[in-house]
Amino acid sequence: MATQGESTHSCWSCGAMRAAHFCEACGKVQPPAPADYFAFFGLPRKLNLDVAALEKDFYELSRKLHPDLNARTDKREQEWSLEQSSLLNDAYRTLKDPIRRTQYLLQLEGVELEEQSKAATEKARATGEAKKQIVPPDLLEEVFDLNMQLEELRMHKKMGEDDPALIEEIGRQKLELEEKRQALLNELQADWKTWDGLIGREQAGQLVSEDERKQARDKMVDLLNRRNYIRNLVRDVNEALEN
Amino acid sequence: MSYSDKVIDHYNNPRNVGSMDKSSADVGTGLVGAPECGDVMKLQIKVNPATNVIEEAKFKTFGCGSAIASSSLATEWVKGKTVDEALSIKNMDIVKELSLPPVKIHCSVLAEDAIRAAIGDWKKKQESAKPVAVEAR
Repeated sequence: MATQGESTHSCWSCGAMRAAHFCEACGKVQPPAPADYFAFFGLPRKLNLDVAALEKDFYELSRKLHPDLNARTDKREQEWSLEQSSLLNDAYRTLKDPIRRTQYLLQLEGVELEEQSKAATEKARATGEAKKQIVPPDLLEEVFDLNMQLEELRMHKKMGEDDPALIEEIGRQKLELEEKRQALLNELQADWKTWDGLIGREQAGQLVSEDERKQARDKMVDLLNRRNYIRNLVRDVNEALEN
Repeated sequence: MSYSDKVIDHYNNPRNVGSMDKSSADVGTGLVGAPECGDVMKLQIKVNPATNVIEEAKFKTFGCGSAIASSSLATEWVKGKTVDEALSIKNMDIVKELSLPPVKIHCSVLAEDAIRAAIGDWKKKQESAKPVAVEAR
């Protein structure tokens, strides 16, 4: 896919110019082109990205696209700079965060998590075979057990009872969860590398099979699913311990 | 988004909350999760070995109101049904009964998964129990 920066759009104001967000010749803000967030920043769909450079780009573009800056110019340009600014904010917020960036890429690549789950249930219904759970059973067990303990802790607190042993046990599990969360982030970086490798090969004009892409995507889907549980657990544990 | 009256009723008065002995031969346990929202649902059934009728069902769900209502309803529906009848319950039946909005359809999928997983677990136990019974004779 060609990145937005390379595509040609003519400037509405001076005509026949190569520009993405602004006309390169006269600097006027262009109407937002249908672009994904990577393309908005002129980036390839790679996941390992230079966040500092992205931030720099963001601030520069926000300045240039700021609606107030264009307040006295053409009415169309005002509207476009407003639209472009809001697109810019969304794009930046999504891309700077490692998890949201990954989720967004998967979405761009056509991964529909819920659809996958529903399709698997329908298949199980049709064939009578057991549906393979997306999340490993031992993680589900862990989530369930810890939730039971948290419920117990909340009950104790409600009754005004003290249960130091339970609090200590939950605190210990909290540390484990945080380690797991960190481990997942490290694992995610490895998955990014695999994905970026595929994109790099494509950019170099090499053939990448759909199978390879799917494998790389599935690994990230699997990881994000596990991460959802860990994130919720960390949140619930913190809540239960604090209140 | 607001919950339907039926969801609120199941949420406030969940039916059949609890657990049964996982290791019992006539109890099937299904533990399933919806990764989209991090919900986890456990559904257990107790099956009469002579009739294959589900005599008791229990659940425990950690999740949103719709997930709790879906599993509560699932336990009500499977009770009194044979195992094969229970397998015919579809997630869209639950969606209709509870008037779940599109964003909560995955909760009903989870409940159907839980029924299937519990029955699957029970069936596995029956199969592995057979050879032992033959040997005992």
